[in-house]
Amino acid sequence: MEDRSQPISRRGLFEALVRPFARHAGGDDGAGLAQGNPSRPADDGTPKVAIIQGRFCLAYQGGVCFTCSERCPVPDALTTEKGIPTVHADICTGCGICHDLCPAPRNAILMLAPPETPALARS
Amino acid sequence: MSNMERRDFLKLSAMTAATAAAQAKAGVERKAIHTDDHGIRWDKAPCRFCGTGCHVKVGVKDGKVIAIAGAEDADVNKGLLCVKGYHVGGILYGKDRLTTPMLRKEGKLEPISWDEAITVVADRIYKEPKKFAFYGSGQWTIPEGYAAQKFIKGGLSNNHIDPNARLCMASAVTGFISTYGVDEPAGTYDDLDNASVVIFWGNNPAEMHPVLFSRIVDRRSRGEKVTIIDIGTRRTRSTEFADHYLEFRPQTDLAIANCIAHYLIESDCYDKEFVSKHCNFRIDVDDTTRDLFGKASSFEEYKQQMSTYTFEYTSQLSGVPEEQLKVLAEAFADPESRITSLWCMGVNQHYRGTAMNRLLHGIHLLSGHFGKPGDAPTSLTGQPSACGTAREVGTLAHALPGGRIVKKPAHREACEKAWNMAPGTINPKPGYHTVKMFEQFCKPTAEGGDISTVLVQVTNPGQTLPNLYKLFEAKKDLEDKFLIVSEVYPTATTELADLVLPAALWVEKGGVYGNSERRTQQWFKQVNPPGGAREDLWMTIAIARKLFDMGYPGMKDQDGKFIFSYNDEQGNEVPIWDYDHFHDINVDRELYEEYRPLTHGKRKNVAPYDVLVNAHGLRWPVVQTKDGNWRETRFRFTEADDPFVKKGTGIQFYNSTTKDDKAQIWFCPYEAAPEEPNKEYPFWLCTGRVLEHWHSGTMTMRVDQLRKAMPKAYVELNPKDAAEKGINNGDLVQLTTARGDLVLPAWINGRARPPRGSVFVPFFDEKLLINRLTLDAYCPVSKEPDYKKCATKVEKYDPIEKKPLP
Repeated sequence: MEDRSQPISRRGLFEALVRPFARHAGGDDGAGLAQGNPSRPADDGTPKVAIIQGRFCLAYQGGVCFTCSERCPVPDALTTEKGIPTVHADICTGCGICHDLCPAPRNAILMLAPPETPALARS
Repeated sequence: MSNMERRDFLKLSAMTAATAAAQAKAGVERKAIHTDDHGIRWDKAPCRFCGTGCHVKVGVKDGKVIAIAGAEDADVNKGLLCVKGYHVGGILYGKDRLTTPMLRKEGKLEPISWDEAITVVADRIYKEPKKFAFYGSGQWTIPEGYAAQKFIKGGLSNNHIDPNARLCMASAVTGFISTYGVDEPAGTYDDLDNASVVIFWGNNPAEMHPVLFSRIVDRRSRGEKVTIIDIGTRRTRSTEFADHYLEFRPQTDLAIANCIAHYLIESDCYDKEFVSKHCNFRIDVDDTTRDLFGKASSFEEYKQQMSTYTFEYTSQLSGVPEEQLKVLAEAFADPESRITSLWCMGVNQHYRGTAMNRLLHGIHLLSGHFGKPGDAPTSLTGQPSACGTAREVGTLAHALPGGRIVKKPAHREACEKAWNMAPGTINPKPGYHTVKMFEQFCKPTAEGGDISTVLVQVTNPGQTLPNLYKLFEAKKDLEDKFLIVSEVYPTATTELADLVLPAALWVEKGGVYGNSERRTQQWFKQVNPPGGAREDLWMTIAIARKLFDMGYPGMKDQDGKFIFSYNDEQGNEVPIWDYDHFHDINVDRELYEEYRPLTHGKRKNVAPYDVLVNAHGLRWPVVQTKDGNWRETRFRFTEADDPFVKKGTGIQFYNSTTKDDKAQIWFCPYEAAPEEPNKEYPFWLCTGRVLEHWHSGTMTMRVDQLRKAMPKAYVELNPKDAAEKGINNGDLVQLTTARGDLVLPAWINGRARPPRGSVFVPFFDEKLLINRLTLDAYCPVSKEPDYKKCATKVEKYDPIEKKPLP
């Protein structure tokens, strides 16, 4: 089975940085909201990383969903294996698009401080 | 829980659920309803969206649906829902709900009263009853469809009624009828739990029927082996889980099915006993005639016709490597395997849709992969009551309830009798099917366009008809044509409507749906519709009553009574046409119970209304056992489960068209697509749905989470094609077919992986109407158009100059 998350070419890899919905998107649709969602916790400027909460994630719960991996703008930061998404914390830039777009009835994605810089230590 | 324990637990709970659901007692209180500690009242309903028929628990507080959960005790979904299902409550609360009737005056829709609105409709019909057409839906509830059917075919002696299911399931219907003599699958979803091989024929259940897909894939996580073979024209999300993926050139699926038959015969491993006991052979009348019943054939002729479809020939034609064709053929040749074939729009929206349906049944019958748990050719439906309302109630232009057709005198007579209408009331000539209906509506009256008024309920033809310029938008310039649309939100259809009727949606009304696996499901009204929105069922009855009051003779039965006359418990007629009294009795129950005996003719016995009240649906035929319980049927035509099969026969096709209890194995040749890529239009264009949106997106695009997850339509491109044309992700691309053009953002590979020379566009986006480009050529037998293939040009578009780049 092919791994769909791998871009086809080096050129494709760069192109993947600009996902189709990031451009030409209307004011009130997904990509627009991704740039500033009032429901997102206030950005305090500290580095963040996405954490998937399995108990709320539709894919983890045996359903079919691929919004986060599909819309993540960073290649290889959020990959899927047999439909289950995984965040690669070392690549994740903490942009929060996955959090903003997660369509689960209870948002399955938390934006937290990266594991190597615990929140406690910073404060 | 350890693996072993988990498996035992699941097995046990599955068994308990099956026993409980298979039997339900009548006349008991409503068990599904209860109020929890937070003051939320919970009731049951089937999900509003697709044909899977998942059951949801609907939580209501202060007159508003505030919570949705999967029903754990429902056989279909066992508590699971898809991403749309979890948000189904949200569809009621879009900001732009239609709440008042509106009439177009000098080009603008102006509010009017319901009284005026109903009078306008009745006047149009009264003046030209034969030029009136009713366009309905596989989202109609059974009582809604039944009332529409009785109103137009009985009351107006007019057969111009068709559901949008014509664009969706018609080829499956003709496939079933010409094979078994009766519509709808023999198997059920239970087969998915027992199959060792599941084949997706042009089908992407991961996105379209996710709960069923999970049911299959979940077996793997329990350690069971299920081989998935995906046969398609593009890689999809389902392909990621497939063991084998066969990518074929569009339209050559016909040859692939024939290739399997050829192999089974050549290698002498077809099921001789099954075929000789239970099957006849059938073929088209001649090389050009394509009709429903064809003519009798023989095994020798079948064998000779199939001899063309060698691995070598089929591989060359389809582009599928010979080794892969062999894998597929050998699965069918193995008597130990249990094969469930699944298909939906890929096979039905096909220029030879009837033929492809027949061939799928044919290879299952020929190989004997039929009638055992897990061995079933099962078509899936895309709408929640395509089976229940379009197919069983027979709201098609040629049909009558219970598998009857207008052409047969005995069938008309049975309905006239049930409706207490004079003999000869029902017109024996079939009405216009969908494409023809809108062709006649959009054609000027002077040129023979003999449909002047169309009433649309519960669907959105302005977005979903093929070749929209010709079949819908051409209406714009025709002053004497009148479009009436009952809708929930403003849509591409209301855009051209002369009269808009605001409708109640889902649990704002009661209803009965019938899902893909013959399961009839009932629910009650749980909240009030907003503002002046009212039930479609009420609208039909009110229009009929207005005509009755105007003296239209057809609205009276033989005793001079109104055709929708129903009494309360004291025996007094309730004026249900007056909205203040519409809820005085359960009109759903009255109509459903009137309809139910009509299902007995072809042994499609649906369960009584009161029994359905406390069941998560029951699969017909449903018969009463000696102990007073009602028993459903999981495997139709098999002695072990179907109460109508004669003891000792094993398998009996009791609706056989050849009257000998046998099914028909058809030979149908490969025939080219109606439009193939050429020099001017060098790409294949395929259209379809996406996981997050349902049908034309009018409901799901109003749920924030779903709209954000999939905000707008796009064109999926193969990376090599894109590179050649200098197209990057997000660039605008213009598609042009012989019928129209459209500019969309490019998504390289996208959700699928279209092969070189092909593109895919979803149809949910009302701002980007891909159906302006699609082809209105249809299957000659089912009259279902082919939305899956036509020829298109692909060009990079310059947004500044507003034209394609050179």
